Amino acid sequence: MTAMKQMVAVSAIALAAATGIARAEEPLNAEVIHWWTSGGESAAIAVFADAFNAAGGKWVDNAVAGGSAARSAAINRIIGGDPSTAALFNTSRQYHEIIGEGLLNDIDAVASKNDWDKVLPEPIARAVKVDGKYYAAPVNIHMPLWIWYSTAALNKAGIDKPPETMEQFLADLDKLKAAGVIPLALGGQRWQENSLFSAVLTNVGGAALWKSVYGDKDEAAIRSPEFRKVIETFVSLKPYVDQASPGRNWNDATALLIKDEAGFQVMGDWAKGEFKQANKEIGKDYGCIPGLRPDSPYVLGGDVFVFPKTDNAEQVKAQHLLVEIMTDPAVQVKFNNLKGSIPIRSDVDVSSLDACAQLGMKIMSDPARQVPDASQMMEEYVYGSVQDIVTELWNTPMTVDQAVDRFEKALKG
Amino acid sequence: MMRQAKPAVARRPLNYQEVWGRVGIYAFLGVVALFFLLPLYVMLVTSFKSMDEIRLGLIFSLPRQFTIDAWVKAWTSACTGLECTGLRVGFGNSVKILVPSVVVSILLGAVNGYALSFWKVKGANVLFACLLLGSFIPYQVFIYPLVRVYAQTGIYGSLAGIVLTHVIFGMPVMTLLFRNYYSGLPIELFKAARIDGAGFWKIFVSIILPMSAPIAIVAVIMQVTAIWNDFLLGLVFAGRENLPMTVQLNNIVNTTTGERAYNVNMAATVLTSLVPLAVYLLSGRWFVRGIASGAVKG
Amino acid sequence: MGAEFTRHVKRNLVAYIALLPMAAVVIFAYLGTMAWSVRLSFSSSKLLPRSDFVGLNQYVTLFDTSRWLTSLGNLAVIAFFFLLICFVLGCLLAIFIDQNVRGESLFRTVFLYPYAMSFVVAGLIWQWILNPDLGIQATMRGFGFSGFVLDWVVNPRMVLYAVILATVWHGSGLVMALILAGLRGIDGEIWRATRIDGIPAWRVYLSIVLPMLRPMIITSLVLLSISIVKMYDVVVAMTNGGPGTASEVPAKFIMDNLFERANIGLATAASTVMLITVLMVMAPVIYSQYFRKSGRAA
Repeated sequence: MTAMKQMVAVSAIALAAATGIARAEEPLNAEVIHWWTSGGESAAIAVFADAFNAAGGKWVDNAVAGGSAARSAAINRIIGGDPSTAALFNTSRQYHEIIGEGLLNDIDAVASKNDWDKVLPEPIARAVKVDGKYYAAPVNIHMPLWIWYSTAALNKAGIDKPPETMEQFLADLDKLKAAGVIPLALGGQRWQENSLFSAVLTNVGGAALWKSVYGDKDEAAIRSPEFRKVIETFVSLKPYVDQASPGRNWNDATALLIKDEAGFQVMGDWAKGEFKQANKEIGKDYGCIPGLRPDSPYVLGGDVFVFPKTDNAEQVKAQHLLVEIMTDPAVQVKFNNLKGSIPIRSDVDVSSLDACAQLGMKIMSDPARQVPDASQMMEEYVYGSVQDIVTELWNTPMTVDQAVDRFEKALKG
Repeated sequence: MMRQAKPAVARRPLNYQEVWGRVGIYAFLGVVALFFLLPLYVMLVTSFKSMDEIRLGLIFSLPRQFTIDAWVKAWTSACTGLECTGLRVGFGNSVKILVPSVVVSILLGAVNGYALSFWKVKGANVLFACLLLGSFIPYQVFIYPLVRVYAQTGIYGSLAGIVLTHVIFGMPVMTLLFRNYYSGLPIELFKAARIDGAGFWKIFVSIILPMSAPIAIVAVIMQVTAIWNDFLLGLVFAGRENLPMTVQLNNIVNTTTGERAYNVNMAATVLTSLVPLAVYLLSGRWFVRGIASGAVKG
Repeated sequence: MGAEFTRHVKRNLVAYIALLPMAAVVIFAYLGTMAWSVRLSFSSSKLLPRSDFVGLNQYVTLFDTSRWLTSLGNLAVIAFFFLLICFVLGCLLAIFIDQNVRGESLFRTVFLYPYAMSFVVAGLIWQWILNPDLGIQATMRGFGFSGFVLDWVVNPRMVLYAVILATVWHGSGLVMALILAGLRGIDGEIWRATRIDGIPAWRVYLSIVLPMLRPMIITSLVLLSISIVKMYDVVVAMTNGGPGTASEVPAKFIMDNLFERANIGLATAASTVMLITVLMVMAPVIYSQYFRKSGRAA
């Protein structure tokens, strides 16, 4: 912890020195509401805070654990007429309605100066740009569907190289089970079961099915044999999960891989932080598989900051400075290294990123493989219903026909 | 004026049946007490263990190496985002919110209960029924309209705002508590005072309040617990300057990255519960016997 | 009517004034919010309230949502067992403690302390104790009972009972405190009289004391019911509604839709349904308690 803090402090000083900005007489106050409270996350946001302070601002940190608690605190502050300077949201539609109500400041001035139209991946730009104006500053790209593996666990089952296709993956699960290892580490919580389903959907159905089912909500796609195959494959994974899975936190599931008690886990790139903290080495002790097909889509999730409406010129100035700093290429690299995600722009120096992040950057450079996260393609309540179906599909007996009917109803609703 | 002994079990030699009765009573109380204490035991032993020991997964075993590191960390240096100041910062805020909220809500509850059960006020029971009904709505539903109204009156995000919120949400239960307790008290007391010419407040202060100790302590227990443990209302209404301790507890406990520091979590949890626990311990002497009858006869 | 009413108001004027804060809270905070929330349930509101009108659409959607129906069913099971166990256990504890037992204050504190912990803590700690990998099951297997199974929190068929266990642990102490307060308000003369008549103690409790405690019993039942309807934190902390939707409850459905899913219209429809349900269940109780006789004053 303290080592981490020192590192951040040193880097902040270095950054301040590099940018050569002296502290202003009257610092620009910026209160930021966010939910990044854990070790790695705090270290990551400290990069923003330190850089902002070094640039003459005064960062006022307002951390609330739990995304939905933090977001509703931010929204209530906005409604109550006492908004913070900035607030964290997911790269999704969570904030589109408050944009519609005119409660957010746009940040077009900074965006056009930095040519966001060019540097941002298209799905991300679409998530933060409403009616031709940028309203949110994306700070990272999380790919939520990496498949992680424990090298030792795989070796125990006689698997010498990680799977490259769905068939190999299923065969490996069987081998792991036979070797007495938990084949699939899963936390039986709604969102984790949903991640697993999404991984099956992208890897069995590919980018096309992902977009047509979740994006276009196309009836033919939902009723297609491919989607039925996705549902069947998902359900067939059940026997590979251990009994104590329900309710388990994702990091406890990752811990099973760290302890070599489980073979695979489907989880976002933030899982890297857990391995690093346990002093595990990428490529040696554990590894990451981006997908189980050569053209597997790279799902772009992540986080953005929004900037509540204010007429106070100082606050607007602070908001613009925050955007500048958060999207600055050097800050981006430093921040994302700690957060476990990858930078939002392709024009950065990736050499200091870890192997998985570099792999991610490489895949993402192909626009055909970029697909938006499900939360960017549907309203939150629709996505909520979809997740309800997935969790019921996983936990209670349901025929494929029933599942298809319910998906159609939820998506077309 | 207060009598401690219960006439039915005055001290005298017990017969055979009564002895077994006593044994049964203690056995029952003892077994239930063990069940109730199990979680506290787990919390305490865990909070005194090191993480190395917790990793062994023996949650019921006593700590082999007793350490108070987790307690120190929870109190002084556990992190909330970028601020690593432990729980102690929120403690003061929680006290600041707790005291006025508890006092005002209990006084209002007592006055309401008294007026409802001893005085004739047309429509009062309809009001009370509405109040009671309102207490069944999850209070999350209230948040949005209240935020709007508070913002307009300028008390949003202030100490006054959070206190008022606790008073509003405490009112149904406090009123119910006192109303039902008072309706069990002998009406003759009230009638006699009326005949003597005593007014509303005089009867309340000199007759009703002195008889309210047992229920007042229940009220204190409920309000101290509810207000002290509140997280959501504090988060929404108290403002950044007054965030209660539970917000920090939530930040410490609800983090799902990294290895979960069970020892710090448990220590933080027990620390956060200390104030209600202290109130419970101190409340004992108010649970005395025969208050009503003592007052009648005394 | 008019003149008589004026005289009545004059005589009880202070009582009217004393109830003004309650009237204000009921009208503005409770009735206002309830009306507002019912109104929103007929709109298409998502993240922010909208003023359009979509008829009964939200209700149709609601009752077409399997998670909502599951939640209602779960609530019925929880309500039945939680009310029954909490109430019976609380009463027994209060009565036994009231037998001049030694260490009364210790027992009282032990039974009451869980109430000092927030629901979140209650859920977390029992989740931990019942977790098959960490808690009782793992410990028993460690002792060599390899076939020992205690998998309530991960077993969809048993998970509700795990929730009930945690809530009973949390709530019975309050029932005990309330009943004890009531017992201590009872005239000691009763015991002397029944003693002389040679009536067994259990019969005295059942046919004389409990009826006298009616107001306190109603209070505890209402308080327990409120906590059932609002049951949220403990489920979130313990199971988060899982496995699957096996332990989902209505308040969690409302909360999730209000915040995480930004679906205010559906959430307010759900809370309106809960309100109506509560109204139907509570109406007879409220009527018999508070309308049959208006106050008790002479």
